Amino acid sequence: MQGLWAVVYREARIRATNVLFIFWDVVYPLGYLLVFGVGLNYTVQLSSAAGATDYNAFFLAGVLGMASFGIASNTAWSFFMDRDNGIYFEMLTYPISRSQYLLGKVLFNVLVALVQAGVTVWLADVLLDVPVHWSRMPLTAAMVIVGTAGWFFLYAIFAVLIRRNDAFNTVTSVLYFVLLFASSMFYPLEPLPAAFRAVALANPITWQVDILRYATVGLGDRALVPLELVGFGVFTLLAFAGAVAALRTDT
Amino acid sequence: MSSPAIDVQDLVKVFRRRGTSPTRAVDGLSFTVTGGSIFGLLGPNGAGKTTTLRVLTTLTRPTSGHVRVAGYDVVASPLEVRRQIAVVIQEHAADLLLSVRDNLVSFGRFHGLSGADLRATTGRVMEQFNLAEHADRKVQDLSGGFRRRVQVAKVLMVRTPIVFLDEFSTGMDPILKRMIMAALRDESRAGRTIVLTTQALTEAEELCDDILIMNHGRQVARGDVHALKLLCGGVYDVALTFETLPPGIESAAAALRPIRMRIMGSTLQLALKDDERHVLEVVNQLASHGHVSHVEVSGASLEDVFVELTAGDKLATGGKRLD
Repeated sequence: MQGLWAVVYREARIRATNVLFIFWDVVYPLGYLLVFGVGLNYTVQLSSAAGATDYNAFFLAGVLGMASFGIASNTAWSFFMDRDNGIYFEMLTYPISRSQYLLGKVLFNVLVALVQAGVTVWLADVLLDVPVHWSRMPLTAAMVIVGTAGWFFLYAIFAVLIRRNDAFNTVTSVLYFVLLFASSMFYPLEPLPAAFRAVALANPITWQVDILRYATVGLGDRALVPLELVGFGVFTLLAFAGAVAALRTDT
Repeated sequence: MSSPAIDVQDLVKVFRRRGTSPTRAVDGLSFTVTGGSIFGLLGPNGAGKTTTLRVLTTLTRPTSGHVRVAGYDVVASPLEVRRQIAVVIQEHAADLLLSVRDNLVSFGRFHGLSGADLRATTGRVMEQFNLAEHADRKVQDLSGGFRRRVQVAKVLMVRTPIVFLDEFSTGMDPILKRMIMAALRDESRAGRTIVLTTQALTEAEELCDDILIMNHGRQVARGDVHALKLLCGGVYDVALTFETLPPGIESAAAALRPIRMRIMGSTLQLALKDDERHVLEVVNQLASHGHVSHVEVSGASLEDVFVELTAGDKLATGGKRLD
């Protein structure tokens, strides 16, 4: 455990050198909800299939999913900063396992994601009258934690193996485009063409957002939630194993 | 008899990259390092030194062979190996956004230091490396030499039995280099095993108890400095300082086919492989070209040994061993 906390301490010290960035991390999902969400709420008629008449309520889970996805990609990008500083290889000689290195890197950022989710959900309730299910907050918190970690592990595989900053940026752009838009993040899947729906249903972002939607505002198929929970858990474990294997490959 | 600090047997490391033929970076290397010694791994660029060090520090897995560090196998027990070592890698390595103090504290935490012990050790090391007045400055605001100083200072924060240093003196001024060499000697006397690679052969000559010269991934020679110099019996370093460098001296010296030749200001430096009597005749002959103010003739340096053994492909299978 000592090694794990040493990584967390280091990450926290580095992040603390830029408090403005942490502040932005915490408030930007709310900004997204207030600008993009409110904009759409006034201009687009939500399908009755969504189960909600208010786009703000529907979009809240999408914003939380997007935020954890963003924190995960930023955290994975720190591998490149470590490489540029030369410390990446030195750290791999420290008395920590590869698993501890990965977990330590994401733990502090998971904490930021939790604060971010708490602030967003609370202000969505206060400012936008989103009908939040406070009793399900533990499920929301669990999904924010696992979601941020899962996406970080996936990104870490690319960040470790690709080694080139510009190539990694291309990967993140593609993942953002494909995973975020082919999912239930921005719109309900029911009215969409069958092929689109099939792709979206196989997308772990959809699983994460569906669970968050059920947990925060009670929308969605209750029977599907346990399946999606298991699916996202398996995805996270596979991504973690992949990231550890990537760190163990020849550096 | 106690087991060696490092035991390498038939180490092979092959790099395979798509579209190119495999590269045998290390090719059947075997050696042991005695605990508490300063061991130098020397060789020209691409000889396999850094790859060997990367295997020893668990950064790279061997293709075949057995490597034990402090009694632990680098493949079977990498984490145990990492608990026994502190490493200065070849490139500059520091958290640039953190202060000097935070870099040292963070490193100490990885090795289990905490509380008052950590604070005291950080303070002592900063004093030792003249870093105290820069303690709260971010490393990104320091010069390259200072960054390297922070990097090397880290290994003195902890008491791991083995220290690896890959080209540690890069970018250091001579005074700092001397200070660190003295510190490394002290660490060795205290029982720590120091393994270093360097291109600065004078460093190896001054520091190392035991030297392994490698080329093309294999051992070329092994022994202490004096033993290695015997491999270059009949090599002499000649330095002639003229009042003013005489015209034509360069071509006259080149005609003697020296192992190496260098002109610095009004001084001509040569390394010659010949018998002693003939070397003195050559000195006389070169001195007759002008007014000589100073003459030095000495036996082979480690640099001569290095050039003699690694230039071209003078690779003796299994290498030469002199203990």
